[in-house]
Amino acid sequence: MRRARIMMAFAVAGATAVVGVLSLVPGETGSQAAQSVARPPSPGDPLTGDEVTRAGRIASATWRSHMTTGRAELLYVERDDDKAAGERRRADAYIYDYRTDRLVVRTVDLARGEVVEERTGRGVQPPPSRGEETAAAELLLADPKYGGRVRAAHLKAGGRPLVSAADLGLRALTFTPRPGDRVAGACEVHRCVRLFVRLPDGSWLDTSRIVVDLSAKKILTLEW
Amino acid sequence: MFLRLTLSSALLAAGLTGATGSTAGSTETAGTAGAAEAVRAAAGSAGAARAAQAAPGSQPSCSSPYRIDKTLPNGARWQLCWEMRTIEGLTLTDVTYTPDGGEPTGVLRSTALAQIHVPYDSGEPRFHDIGTIGDDAIALKSADCPGGERRSQFVCVTTRARGHGYMKSDGEGVSTSVQGTDLVVFAAFQLGWYTYLVEWAFGDDGAITPRIGATGSLSGFTTTPGYGWPIGVGSTKFEESHNHNVFWRLDFDIEGSRGDVVEQYDFAGSGTSKRKLVKTVFDEETKAVNGRMRWWRVVDSGVRNADRHPVSWEINNLASAEYRGPADEAFTRADLYVTDYRACERLASTNPTPGCGKSLDRYVADGKRLTDPVVWVNVGFHHVARDEDADPMPTHWQGFRITPRDVTAKNPS
Repeated sequence: MRRARIMMAFAVAGATAVVGVLSLVPGETGSQAAQSVARPPSPGDPLTGDEVTRAGRIASATWRSHMTTGRAELLYVERDDDKAAGERRRADAYIYDYRTDRLVVRTVDLARGEVVEERTGRGVQPPPSRGEETAAAELLLADPKYGGRVRAAHLKAGGRPLVSAADLGLRALTFTPRPGDRVAGACEVHRCVRLFVRLPDGSWLDTSRIVVDLSAKKILTLEW
Repeated sequence: MFLRLTLSSALLAAGLTGATGSTAGSTETAGTAGAAEAVRAAAGSAGAARAAQAAPGSQPSCSSPYRIDKTLPNGARWQLCWEMRTIEGLTLTDVTYTPDGGEPTGVLRSTALAQIHVPYDSGEPRFHDIGTIGDDAIALKSADCPGGERRSQFVCVTTRARGHGYMKSDGEGVSTSVQGTDLVVFAAFQLGWYTYLVEWAFGDDGAITPRIGATGSLSGFTTTPGYGWPIGVGSTKFEESHNHNVFWRLDFDIEGSRGDVVEQYDFAGSGTSKRKLVKTVFDEETKAVNGRMRWWRVVDSGVRNADRHPVSWEINNLASAEYRGPADEAFTRADLYVTDYRACERLASTNPTPGCGKSLDRYVADGKRLTDPVVWVNVGFHHVARDEDADPMPTHWQGFRITPRDVTAKNPS
């Protein structure tokens, strides 16, 4: 893993120049988004929905072309609560770059409207985002071996054919291979997830041996 | 909230009231080099003098609906903030305790879950359940938050009886007793088949009880008899046994981040009639394992109660299965870790920040000198399924206790 701690000061100019980027940015429905209120937030309040949107936009300003092609993704935005920041409102935007398999965490100072810190690393896997969860399910459904099984299980449990991944109850967790893993060794660096799949009757498919390699767009079956 | 007093203001406070008189003036020298010496004056005294010393920013830093401010029936008051973070889920910050008639004491700058590690007994699968747990918070119904108040759908703030605070007979058959109350803050999360109840109880005796309950459904993973227990009719389906190794991160800041020290206490003399107190001060980042009579405390010698004893918070009752995993899960091989504060060290394993260690065992590997300790507690529960775990599975709880030690000079109840 490359360990880098780079102080950056991107200009805010251009942050709103691209239309259509909002679809890439977590909005007010995010669980951590504070209720929209007229008054300014207190220093210890969660990020407001507006702050989440703004931080995501600022942090991803130089990534838009990669995001629109799916080669990078803004995963989520967390409030930065570093003691050293004092009472400044700051946000950490987690961006995953699939081209290089690097995690980029950009810290945005919301008052200044700019990125003030960036950390990048390979082999660092933050929890999967909702978007990655859906992408993993779509890969599973497209898999010749497992796709049909999932559809058949869904039909049996719900009495209706599966239309899309949205019909499934999904939950993804980061997968990290154990030492010597012959099947999923690439997941030391690749973005890999395990997927839990809930069917319409509330039961869960046993997907514990299945790993979705989002970087390689492959389904792996663990050996154990 | 009032932070440290300088020695001169402490003397002034004592002189103004006469409550502590010369004893306050002869206070011990604070043990932390370079720290301002301080004395907490007797409860209720010298408020004006101390108000002049109030530290900026010492009030809880949040506003409604994220601010919790509850005075329990015996007069104990808890103030804190909550936040639903995407990764860690429910996070509590700026936790402050005020005993009845006493002064506010800052306890925790923040606390949250740091991992739920779930390895199955056959060796696989092994899960790190902290993901984007905040996105899995369950919207609570009124019935899910009995007697309490729901905040932003996902957080319940309520109170709960905790049994006898004390009971004492006068020897003539007349007894006095008091019933205690907890302030409870909790949220529920759906992670796969499990529903996790994540709560912190704040007692009217000053104690804090973090715990997590696992309910919902069994995984349904089946295995061979050596790794499971027969579920359902007969002995054909063996539900696989597993551990829930839960880690909490606790950034103690007793009246601010300065001056906090972590100590370990043991009592030597096993097999003899004596038990001798053995104190170990942790100067450097370290890890520790449980012992039957072992406990730890975070103490700030610059903050004293009316008896001039340093204020501290004790960590005990780690009723843990003490799971010890393989070498690549070295973070499971201790029950308590003490690290120096680093904002990027958030999770016990699968830490999501570049440029930072990946797991607890790596955080302490360099043995950095402690200046602002953060305590990590690991409590494991080994779940061997039983017929009673049929859906919906009864809640099984695991957690630990944080109790005040010399925060007040007398029983605060």
